[in-house]
Amino acid sequence: MAGGYDRAITVFSPDGHLFQVEYALEAVRKGTTTVGVKGKDCVVLAVERRATPKLQDPRTIRKILVVDDNIALTFAGLNADARVLVNKTRVECQSYRLNVEDAPTVDYVARFIARTQQKYTHRGGVRPFGISTLLGGFDSKGQPALFQTDPAGTYYAWKATAIGKNSKSVTDFLEKKYKEDLDEDAVRATVLTCLREALLVKPDATVKLALKGLLEVTEASGKNIEVVIIKESGITWMPDDTLEPLVKELDDTAEKIAKLKEQQ
Amino acid sequence: MGTEAMFGLTGKDFVILAADGQAAYSIIRLKNDADKIWKVGNMLFACSGPPADTANFMEFIEKNVKLNELRTGIPMSTKAAASFTRNELAHALRKGPFQADLLIGGIDNEGPSLYFMDYLASSEKVNKAAHGYGAMFTLGLMDRYWKPDLTEAEAIDIIKKCIKELETRFIVDLPGFKCKIVSKEGTKDVTL
Amino acid sequence: MDLLGAPKRGMFRDFAGTGAAGLPNGCDSISEARFALPAVQDPATFVETHFSPGTYEDNGKRVKFSKGTTTLAFKFKGGVIVSVDSRASQGSYIGSQTVKKVIEINPYLLGTMAGGAADCLFWERNLGMQCRIFELRNKERISVAAASKLLANTMNSYKGMGLSMGTMITGWDKKGPQLYYVDNDGTRLKADENKPYFCVGSGGTFAYGVLDTNWSFDLSDEEAIELGKRAIYHATYRDAYSGGVNNVYHVQENGWVQVYSDDTYKSHDKYSAEREAAANP
Repeated sequence: MAGGYDRAITVFSPDGHLFQVEYALEAVRKGTTTVGVKGKDCVVLAVERRATPKLQDPRTIRKILVVDDNIALTFAGLNADARVLVNKTRVECQSYRLNVEDAPTVDYVARFIARTQQKYTHRGGVRPFGISTLLGGFDSKGQPALFQTDPAGTYYAWKATAIGKNSKSVTDFLEKKYKEDLDEDAVRATVLTCLREALLVKPDATVKLALKGLLEVTEASGKNIEVVIIKESGITWMPDDTLEPLVKELDDTAEKIAKLKEQQ
Repeated sequence: MGTEAMFGLTGKDFVILAADGQAAYSIIRLKNDADKIWKVGNMLFACSGPPADTANFMEFIEKNVKLNELRTGIPMSTKAAASFTRNELAHALRKGPFQADLLIGGIDNEGPSLYFMDYLASSEKVNKAAHGYGAMFTLGLMDRYWKPDLTEAEAIDIIKKCIKELETRFIVDLPGFKCKIVSKEGTKDVTL
Repeated sequence: MDLLGAPKRGMFRDFAGTGAAGLPNGCDSISEARFALPAVQDPATFVETHFSPGTYEDNGKRVKFSKGTTTLAFKFKGGVIVSVDSRASQGSYIGSQTVKKVIEINPYLLGTMAGGAADCLFWERNLGMQCRIFELRNKERISVAAASKLLANTMNSYKGMGLSMGTMITGWDKKGPQLYYVDNDGTRLKADENKPYFCVGSGGTFAYGVLDTNWSFDLSDEEAIELGKRAIYHATYRDAYSGGVNNVYHVQENGWVQVYSDDTYKSHDKYSAEREAAANP
């Protein structure tokens, strides 16, 4: 169907497609799964971490990037494109602070990223960024915000969403399980359930939801998952010793298998 | 630039900086509570000069140090920050110079360090330093009383002596001195 | 190293920091007003030589900018009072007695004018445009801090090129009543905590005398307006380059209102009558 209209970025096809942009979205769909859930007073981002080769230093592979004091970003798609785009965004955030003497809102940052991604869809000689980003943070009024951008340059605000491989299954799961105004507990729990893993001593709903969603499509192990919690006070990575047991708790693979066996 | 006073010294495991609080336009004192000691990363930068130049330059340095922190994930060392700052002053010197004199204090792995830097882009790591006409009165005092491994109380005492000396002998009355300490725990204000 | 906007100086240069109108890098902007500079080696010296930006000397230059003024603004519990004169002088010639030196940037932001009238008027109107664009883009009002910063950035980019402007930007935003001083050097100062006021212009020192001794945070609205009037009156009495009409504005939570506008001669009649009465009871 492409028939020659997919080479140049600046050329529409007769039926109104920009094929390069759609192919970029394909690249995103092949990227590692990323989940974001917005709670009442926190935003949780969780990513599936591909296993690092034994000889590689894991610190050089970062999937959750800090963009400004209270804003973090994760992505699905080409790692290198993410690195370049995040660099531009970091400069933009500091520039905004320099000119306006105030922190940029998450909305502003999302708009900037979206605008940048869009710029690369209507000039010749360049290709679009092959990433969709999930941006989580707090605005100046203390409200949590979760935004998504894509290679076309659109940006959306979400209560909970997922991008990357198997994102459909995760978003289906989130649609069923999401509740308004989840406290940090609830959000954490949701996130973790997404990842289908273990339990914390103090279960946290938002984190649990995000994890559970991720667990729908990932193997149940702390080594495969990275979780970041953004609150008004700042950004914290969930340490391995809290993550591992929580993942194990939420891992209901055994239950699911047992259920299936029953049905048979 | 002249009618300002700014000085600092290194202690055992901290650096202390003090600066006056005056912002003036010709013969008028526009502000008497100006804060000339900037927090940049986990260091302190005291900057004197015309408010336009100092604010412009310091904000630029501050934001770029922050950018570096975000990119690398770790705070910038004092040596690196001082080097970067001096470099910027040097580049601008023959194009559009910044009339900014600085004292940079921070704690690295090797211990506390204080850098003296002036608007001509000279930079030296020192134990005690001062800028402005105030320097004429305070350097002698600091040379007399400084010793290695000063405690915080001793250092604050020296600062107080310096301010008293300025009040006694400097014809310009400089109000609103602010004093800050940077140590491994971070930065804190000192009430004199 | 990819630095963010080094504030470059020099004849023809890109904008310091990010986009001119508070816009992000790389964004085209109709509000980024750039002028063609005089086609000479050194615009600053050219302006210096031919347009006499000095204050008190009549140095026989051909074109004399209007300058000489008294403007003041102070914060108090009821908001901010802005009080200005209205004389425009060209050397020793009084060009006008009815200049509007308070510029209404938008219904909640005011700017004052001191120095070059054209520079103040133009750049503060330009600031108004930048503020409006900010509002439209970000769906919320711009803070006074940000507005004054935008103006200071503009001044910085023309630093050394002969602009003459000493202004106060004031308004009431989320943080309460705010007052900033911005001038053509790029100086930007926030009003003191314990003495939150500025007096700008050739008559500023005279006004400071009255303001310093009579200001208190707890003034009532009437007392504050009276203080604003009095300070300007005394400045116009002593400073030859200030006079005309005294305009007083009150910045409140919902925006500014103009509260007084009358000839300073009337103030003179009133206060000298009071003095007479006090001297000869």
